[in-house]
Amino acid sequence: MDGLLQLLINGISIGATYALFALGYTLVFSVLGVINFAHGAVFTCGAYFTYLLLGGAVGSNGMLAGMHFPLALPLLVALPLAGIGAAAMGLLVEAVAFKPLRRRGAEPLLYLITSLGAGVILVNLIQLLMGAEAYALPGNLLGRWPAVLALGHGVQIRTVQLLLLIVAGIAMLILSLWLNRSSYGKALQAVAEDGTTARLLGINSGAIIQLAFAIASFLAGISGGLVALSVNIGGPYFGIGYGLKGLGVLVLGGLGSAPGAVLGGLIIGIAEALVPAKLSAYKDAVAFAFLFLMLILRPQGLLGKPPMEKV
Amino acid sequence: MPQLMPSVKVLRLLPKWLLLLGLLASCSSTNSNAPVNLKAGLPVGAILSLTGNANVYGQDQRIGLELAQAAFKPGSSIPLNLSIEDGGSDEAGAINAFNLLINRGSAALIGPTLSQQAFAASPIAQRRGVPVVAPSNTATGIPELGNFISRVSAQSLVIAPLSIAKALQLNPAIKRVAVFYANDDAYSTSETAIFQKAIKAKALNTVTVQRTQLNDQDFLNQITSALRAKPDMVVLSLQAVDGGNLIRQLRELGFKGTIVVGNGMNTPNIYPICQKNCDGILIAQAYSPELQTDANRSFVARFKAQQAGAVPPQLTAQAYAAYQVIAEATERQNKRQPLEAKPLREVRILLNEEILRGTYNTPLGKISFSPEGEVIQESFFVAQVRMNPDGRSGKFTLLP
Repeated sequence: MDGLLQLLINGISIGATYALFALGYTLVFSVLGVINFAHGAVFTCGAYFTYLLLGGAVGSNGMLAGMHFPLALPLLVALPLAGIGAAAMGLLVEAVAFKPLRRRGAEPLLYLITSLGAGVILVNLIQLLMGAEAYALPGNLLGRWPAVLALGHGVQIRTVQLLLLIVAGIAMLILSLWLNRSSYGKALQAVAEDGTTARLLGINSGAIIQLAFAIASFLAGISGGLVALSVNIGGPYFGIGYGLKGLGVLVLGGLGSAPGAVLGGLIIGIAEALVPAKLSAYKDAVAFAFLFLMLILRPQGLLGKPPMEKV
Repeated sequence: MPQLMPSVKVLRLLPKWLLLLGLLASCSSTNSNAPVNLKAGLPVGAILSLTGNANVYGQDQRIGLELAQAAFKPGSSIPLNLSIEDGGSDEAGAINAFNLLINRGSAALIGPTLSQQAFAASPIAQRRGVPVVAPSNTATGIPELGNFISRVSAQSLVIAPLSIAKALQLNPAIKRVAVFYANDDAYSTSETAIFQKAIKAKALNTVTVQRTQLNDQDFLNQITSALRAKPDMVVLSLQAVDGGNLIRQLRELGFKGTIVVGNGMNTPNIYPICQKNCDGILIAQAYSPELQTDANRSFVARFKAQQAGAVPPQLTAQAYAAYQVIAEATERQNKRQPLEAKPLREVRILLNEEILRGTYNTPLGKISFSPEGEVIQESFFVAQVRMNPDGRSGKFTLLP
């Protein structure tokens, strides 16, 4: 029983990361109806921004070798700043890869290609500037906190993952409140529902789309920083795996559904944790098997709405 | 129907385009029957993992090659004209780099970094008759890829069991062992089989075998499962980035026993990844910076001068040795039978024969090759990682 509880906690903490990541995908999908493939690269940018803001120096293989930010900021300051930096990158991606196509009313497939291209360019830029080496966030970031917290009955959780879980929970709560209570949140929902009607009602849909990109990228940035805190930055391709997993979560939860992204993330995280130890190397296959099954049984995802047929 | 016309046109033109592409490709590659031009030195290529998750090895190796160039170029009658290509960390990257360097007329190749890449890319060199000296491929079966493939990196079969024996010597109470390996990596799967055999040979109990993947970053599930089996020792066959992450998480989750790692973690680049948790891990090595030979003293001095007093790691020493083997074989062959104006194909064959024939005083000690191209090396060592108080730097301390 304790073993099962431990596995559930492992699954929830991993799933929270996926959920946070997929929320960003969902926000953009809900307003544009397309998937932003550069999201993984923005997540990676967030991790690198966090590293630099914490005072980390660039390794020997990048163009910026040896350089570092003059101040070593505390984690609680560095993380939101890294999120803001990632939001700026998200806005850049929107301006370069989405806006020109939106103006021309281009096919959704073209958005996929341009966002994929923007993601590849970002990753290569990171490699050029920072080198391809692995980075560990500098300093004793947890201060006096132990690396692991005992939850009783032999169940334990890494402090970093508890932090990740808390931040993910807070971010989801704020996002949910903002979407449902604020005028901007409601405007975003209106654009998501029907962009043309929203425009006729006086909503600046272009600005709302930019806002969606900024929030999605901010979330990606802070989750990138938190994941880097947990497992280090393995190199410029660090976010690719999470990007693919986030895509699975998005489809499982329901395209464009924020609660669906959270539910999908948790389900995939727990499913991975419950994969027997002997098959643990195949946990990705389990995640994508869920996706496959969902596409067959319920194409709109767990909490997604079925597409309305227009006559 | 009219809209189909362009497709038919395309189909008709396709064979011509393919022919043109073929012609262009053949024009861009060097004719192996053309006489070799040695004015700029003998062209030699190196394929290193400078990007991707194995880049931590490639960086060490690049330093070794640069030091070897500085050491052997002056005074040689035919200096090597070295081109380093990034082979990435996967098979496709290595194959592209091999093709590129072979087509540019390399007389010999050094690389690739990973065994997984070697199984895919080295057969290309074998088919084209280009000698390959592998500086870091330790999986079983590399020299068996063909008579043009040799290596200076002693195979895991020889080295890996030494660290198990040393761990038992340090702590005879070890009985229960947990094994981790990446099941999508040729090096890891090859080395873990050797480790598991050595564990069995020492009458230890393998309580769990946990499989991971090269790109995994979070090992909570595997570690939780392994710790439930209450192991006294954990044996890892993983690459530096995933292995470093796993050690960090393993220690954070409370494992206090012995950790033995394989050759994949034989680089100081693991220090920033597992940080203070790297302290105490055991690793068998094919190189000791403390080896008292002229070749090693000279190599260590060059490395320290370039790297602010740091101690050279094994991968750097092995890359240096790979270059040295080709440089010395070229010199000897050229004295025996001048290479100038010989067809490139013949130069490659002569060079391969000379590489396998020679004995070399390298930083690794005296080495030679079996007829299959397997390195014959005299000394091996077991080291323990000792981290400095900053938790970011450390060193491999050799155990007596």
